[in-house]
Formats: sequence, structure tokens, C-alpha cells
Amino acid sequence: MEKTMNKLIRVIGLGIVGLFSTLLVANSVFANEVNVFSARHYDSDVQLYEKFTAKTGIKVNVVSGKDKALQKRIKEEGKDSKADIYITADAGRLGAFQAEGMFQKGASSAALKKVVPANFRSPYWVGIAKRARIIYYNPKTVNPSWNMSYEDLADPKYKGRVVIRKSSNIYNQSLVASLIKNNGEKKTAAWAKGMVNNFARKPTGNDRAQILAVAAGEADWAVANTYYLALMLSGKKGAEQQAAAKKVMPFFPNQDGRGTHMNISGGGILKHAPNKANAVKLLEFLLTPEAQQHIVNNTFEYPMIPGVEANKLIAQFGLDFKQDLKTKVSNYGKLQAKALKVMNEAGW
Amino acid sequence: MIKRINFWVIFAFLVPLLVAIPIFTVFLSFFDTTGNYLDLLKDTFLLKYLSNSFLILLGVLSLTFIFGVTSAYFVSFYKFPGVNFFKWALILSFAVPAYIYAYSLVAFFENYGTAFSILTYLFGEGDYNKNIPKFDGLIGSMFSISFSLFGYVYVLTRASFVFQSHNLIEVGKNLGLSSYESFFKIILPSARPAIVVGLSLVAMETLSDFGTVDFFSISTLTTAIYNAWISFDDLTTANQLSFVLLFFILLLFILENLSRKGAKYHQNSKGNKPIPKIQLVGGKSILATCFCSILFFCSFVFPVSQMTYWTIKFPKYFQDINFWSLNMNTLLLVFLSSLFLIIFSFMTNYGNRVSKNKLISYLSTFSVSGYALPGIILAVAFITFISWFSDFLSSIFGFNSFKNVFIGSVVGLVIAYFVRFFSLSYNGIKSGYSKINNSIDENAYLLGYSKLKTFSTIHLPYLKTNILLVGVLIALEIIKELPITLILRPFNFETFATKAYSYAAQDLLEAAAFPSLCLIIWASIFILFISKYILSEK
Repeated sequence: MEKTMNKLIRVIGLGIVGLFSTLLVANSVFANEVNVFSARHYDSDVQLYEKFTAKTGIKVNVVSGKDKALQKRIKEEGKDSKADIYITADAGRLGAFQAEGMFQKGASSAALKKVVPANFRSPYWVGIAKRARIIYYNPKTVNPSWNMSYEDLADPKYKGRVVIRKSSNIYNQSLVASLIKNNGEKKTAAWAKGMVNNFARKPTGNDRAQILAVAAGEADWAVANTYYLALMLSGKKGAEQQAAAKKVMPFFPNQDGRGTHMNISGGGILKHAPNKANAVKLLEFLLTPEAQQHIVNNTFEYPMIPGVEANKLIAQFGLDFKQDLKTKVSNYGKLQAKALKVMNEAGW
Repeated sequence: MIKRINFWVIFAFLVPLLVAIPIFTVFLSFFDTTGNYLDLLKDTFLLKYLSNSFLILLGVLSLTFIFGVTSAYFVSFYKFPGVNFFKWALILSFAVPAYIYAYSLVAFFENYGTAFSILTYLFGEGDYNKNIPKFDGLIGSMFSISFSLFGYVYVLTRASFVFQSHNLIEVGKNLGLSSYESFFKIILPSARPAIVVGLSLVAMETLSDFGTVDFFSISTLTTAIYNAWISFDDLTTANQLSFVLLFFILLLFILENLSRKGAKYHQNSKGNKPIPKIQLVGGKSILATCFCSILFFCSFVFPVSQMTYWTIKFPKYFQDINFWSLNMNTLLLVFLSSLFLIIFSFMTNYGNRVSKNKLISYLSTFSVSGYALPGIILAVAFITFISWFSDFLSSIFGFNSFKNVFIGSVVGLVIAYFVRFFSLSYNGIKSGYSKINNSIDENAYLLGYSKLKTFSTIHLPYLKTNILLVGVLIALEIIKELPITLILRPFNFETFATKAYSYAAQDLLEAAAFPSLCLIIWASIFILFISKYILSEK
């Protein structure tokens, strides 16, 4: 009896000691650190942070998670938040978070202004890498004319031959937001209806699944981001998908108009950042040639700064295509809700 | 009366109150009209969200009913090749969380996926994609959730069959019924309470699922609440939707509670002799073996094989994993959470026992519904509440903010798990307590035992098995838990679940394979550890 009780007390004691020691570890303050909240999950980003630490001695702490949940946590933590930098994919998300007043100025330091194109930064956030949302096609069955556009995909002659993922996807929302910005809501609504009529199947799967659907002959046309094709070509997804990717050709649309839809991964410094100076250093580091090279070779995005070459798996399809630099990426966030509404009303 | 207000009673009052806070928060923290998400919802997809939730629920309930009841029926009443193996092997399905099942399903059936590789390997190059069935996200979610949850129905139905006082098949025979008739007229009705308990657990887990439907991008009531609350900052809509969800869940909860009472009644058999089993021969025996094999294969062998195949095919990915820290983090959470849950469940149960206060008893019942609150909603409610409470205390008493102690810390994680799984633990201990007669306590007091001594020398040894069971059930839940961990974790803190999720999010399911496999192995070890208690026929 006494024994049981003693055991119990010992176990409880151990638990409490364990709890407090983890509490201490979890909350220990490193004098020289920077804390990152990231909705990008790449392991290669973590390797990059390790390089940064090796170089500067500044420790990088990371929490990754779903975009909106991380934002909620930052907002609720308020001035007690330890987060310095928030990194996410999609300019719309960055813009929306800025609009809520969660970023402070300073992300685009003088050094960064020199290298990052004006369309891909604001005083509150800065782009880290670029991606294009493009058309893929099956070269055995179709052949796009050089000036084919996103708008053309709604043409009734492609009935039952187009695949794209769901409307809930943020990349689609940004693409449609840019269409609304350029063509107006009414025209875009008609376009969305045309797209839905052309669907080869109910939208399902991620971007890579759309490219695979073209490879498998389920559709002739797909819309997906550039880096997915490179990911398959790299062999990281196995030999079968590597072979499948070779059956599909990428196509950069809207070349005789505004150019191909571009989006970014980017980051900003948070309003209550406790380590602002280190945060600026980290952002500057992410835009050095060394870091950019690491990013493009691992995630297959396009580099943000001049002088760095995209990975050859993506560069082989051409780097001199016309990018849509006219539509400010900061518009995406403002029009995403409208874009979602337009798509939903079309039954997307 | 005053004498009864003591340490134990206070506990029995305070713990459920703490656990109930997030549930109150979900209702009370949304009073402002802040957004227009509801208009958008009404115009376009509210109906779709509701129908998605409903369809998934319907599909999952039908499938788990068929899988669970049929397998329990075969295993409990008949002898056929492999029966002793299937008896425990079928509960291994608990080790595979629905979201990992979903990863396997997609990987296997997608264009140029694993099925394609197998066909190419067997028959050479060919255009197989057209012949491989494709899953719609809705169907995919139904199957993933069903295969990972049918175990609830299986275990409970089987227990109810085993503890019948008569061999129901014999009863049927004596009444001149065919085995088909006796199944529907005698066996099924006799197990109804147990089946309903199992199905309501399945229903609650299904409604609160986030990982699976999120992976398939299927919008459900739970994702709608998440979107309304987080993406659109529309608290009013989130509140209204939560209300609908909680209403459903409360209904299920009441149903479950009522059925539990029924189940107890049926379990009151006199003898504890195991029922003699009937030997199946010929076609029937093959049918039974086939059914159980297919079920075991689909629910456990298939996802494990897919994950193992990838782990071997892409060995590069497990170099990237900090294996020890993942193990340590997962086990640390399991250890701390089960420890606190068990201790506090004991105290609450004991407090309830000594106080016999109706209010406390109601409060305990209400608080356990935390289990039904989707993890992701609970996590956000937790953050919202802590933030509000800390600001409130700071503004009134000038306290230092304590947000960092609870948000983004192991302490916070343990508390959130506590709220989510208190029901599991409280009810588990309670079912053990209900078997200890109150007169034993009275006798102990007469012998001059203090309450603490009665507790430690009489109750604790008696409830050893219960503690073990509850501990392992909590461990299983925490190993598999994803949304709470994802949102509330500290910097640089990964568990197997978050690691797998993070790879899946970067479209590298191949890399998610190894952490998924580790998760399944840990869960399986825990399951095997208690299988003999779950399956006890005495």
C-alpha cells in the first residue's frame, strides 16, 4: 500500500519535473535568435536557416503550419508574440496580412530594394522566390498557338479537355483575381462558366495530379504551377512520374498581352517582432545569390534576384517568357474573395 | 453537508469546469457582426458544405456498420481458419489515422501511382492509367475514415456478443430460425446498444475530422467553421455554424449516453463462461476467412505496405529526419498527457463518488463533450480564450501576460489534449469505478481509513487494468493527433504526425512515409500491449 503510494508520488514528481524542464527548454531565450512562422514546409528552407546560423551565429527557430492558423496565433499572441518573420506562399496572403496591420515596415531594406523588382515587394514584405501558374498540354494531341491565353481555355472547342484543381485553392484564387483585375468581374464570371463547361472531370487532387491527368490522356490541357513539373522531372517522385512528366509540355500563356501570371513566396517582419534587426538580416540573407541558388535547386521556383539561374529542369523550358509585371501582385489579396465567389457561382 | 465540501469535491467541480471552458468559448466569444462570409456561404456553398458533411457521415456510418458488425459476428460465434488471428489483428486498424490512410489511397490509385508501377512491373510497359479506378475526394474520405474507425464498432459489438448469457445462435435454432433470420431477428437487436455506442463514437470522430477532408480538399461543416473563423474573421458565422455542429454532436452524445445504459443492462449476464463456437465448413468458412482477410488487408496491411514501399524506395528521405527527437517529443506528450489525465480523472471520479452532488455530476457529463469538439476548433478556441484571459487579468490587476506559458509551449499542448481527451479518460475510469460497490468504501471508512488511504489502497489496485487501458487509449489518440499539435506547438518541435503532415503539404508523400510508418508502429505496439484486455472473454 505504502509502496503504491510512494510509486505514485514518484511518478507524479517525475512528471512535474519533466514538465518544467520542457517548459524551460521551450521558452529559453537565446540572446541571438530570430523566430520564423512559416506556412512553407520545405525541409530545404530549414537547411537554409542552418546556413544562416553558421554564418551569423543567429539561431533560427521555426514553427510551420497552416497559413491562417499561424496568422490567428500571431494575432492572438499580440505584443507577446515571439514571432519575428512570417513566411508564406502567395502574394495575396501577404497583402491581406499587411492590410490587417500585422507587419511593420522594414522588410524591404535598402539592400533588398536594389535587387528585388518593385512588383514583388512592398515596405511590409518582400518576395523570396517566384513561381508562374502556367498551362500544360499533351504535345501528341494538341498544339497551342504562340499567343494562347488563360482566357482561351474557356473556348467551347476545348469541351471536356481541361483539368484544374478546386476553387478553394489559393493559387487558383490569385489567378482568377488577376483575371478580374484585368478583364472585370463580369467577363471573368463568363470565363469561369466556360472553364467549368470544359472540365474533363470534377476538380480533384493537387497541381501535380492535373499534370499527371494530361500525361495519362484524361485531358489535353491543365493549369498548374511551374515547379510541380520540375519536381517530377527531378526523379524525387520516382521513375514512373519522371517518365510521365516528359509526356507533358509546359506553355507560358498571354505572351502577346500582359504576360504569364506570376506569384511569389515571401515574408514580412511582424509588428511585435522582438528581434527586428536579426529578422532584417535573415531576409537579406534569403535574397543573397547563395541562398537563392539553394532555393531554386530545391523547390524549383524562379529566383527573385538577377544573376541567379533557375534550376536547369525548369530553365530548359525557357526563361525569357513575358511575365505579367503589370498586374501588381498586391491586387491578388484584395480580389481573392471575389474570385472565390465567381468560381463558386460557376460551379467550380 | 459542510463536511462534504473537501479537497475531492472541489476537484470534482474544478476539473470539469476547466475542461468546459473551450466549449463555452466556442459559443460565447462571437458576439460581434464582423464579416460577410455568411452571405457568400448562403449564396454559394453552405448547402454543399452541409451535404458533404452529411454524405461523409452517412457513408462512414454505413461502412463501419457493415465492417464492424459482420467481422464481430464471424469472430464471436464461429470457428474458421485464422479466427484467432483476426480477433486481434482487426483492432490494428486503430493504429492508422484516417489522414495517413488517405495518403496511401491517393498514392496507390493516382495516375502513374503505385498501382501503375505494380502493373508495369508485372505486365511490362502499358497504358494502365485508364483501367485504374479513380477516387473522388468524397469517396476517398469516406473510405479512409471508415477503415480507420470501424474498430470502434468491431470492439464494442464483439464485447456485447461475447458477454451474452446464451448462445444466441442456439436460441435461434431452437426457435426454428435460419442463421440468416436469427442474425437479423435475435443477434443484431441484442447488440444494438453496443452498436449504437460504437457508431456514435465513429460519428463524432467523423464530424470532427480535419486532416483527411483537408487533404482531399473537401469542404465540410468543420472546415467551414475553420474558414469562417480564421480566413474570413467572421465570428458570427463561425458561431452559427458551430452551433449547428455542436447541436448534431450533442444529439449523438445523448444517443451514446442512453445506449450505454442499455448496453450495461444487456451485459448483466450471469455466467462468465465463454460461448462455445460453431465450426464453419466449406463455402461458409471460406467466406468468413475471406471477409476478415480483406478487411484486415484493406485497413492495415495496405497502408503499412504503401508506406513501407516508399520508405524503401526513397531511402534518402529518412536521413532528413531527426528520428530521436521525434520519438522523444511524441513520447513526452504521451507521458505527460496520460499522467495528468489519469490523475485528474481519478480525482474527479472520486469526488463525484463522495459528494453525490447532482450539479457536479451534470457538470462532469457536460464537460466530457469536449471530445466531440473538433481538435482544430478546440485549438483555436484555446488560443482565443488564453489571449482574452491574459489581457483581462493584465488590464484589471496589472498581471504580467502569461500567453507565452500556454501558447506555443508543451504546457499548452498538454492542457489542450487534456480538454480534448478528458472524456475518454474520465469515462474509462468511471466504468471501472462503477464496478466497485459503495459498501466497500463504507467498510473502509468504518475501519478508520482516510479518504486518501481508501483511494490508494483499495481503489487504485482494483482499477489497475482500467488505468492501463485508459493510458493506452490516450496514448493512441495523442500519437495520431494532428491539428492541435500543429497550431499550439513550440518552436522547432515536431511529432511524427506533424512531420508527416508537413511532407504531405509540400507534395512529398514519399517523404511522409517514414514518419507515418513510425507513427503506425508506435500505435501498434500500444494496441498489442492492451489487446488481451480489450479482447478478454472473461
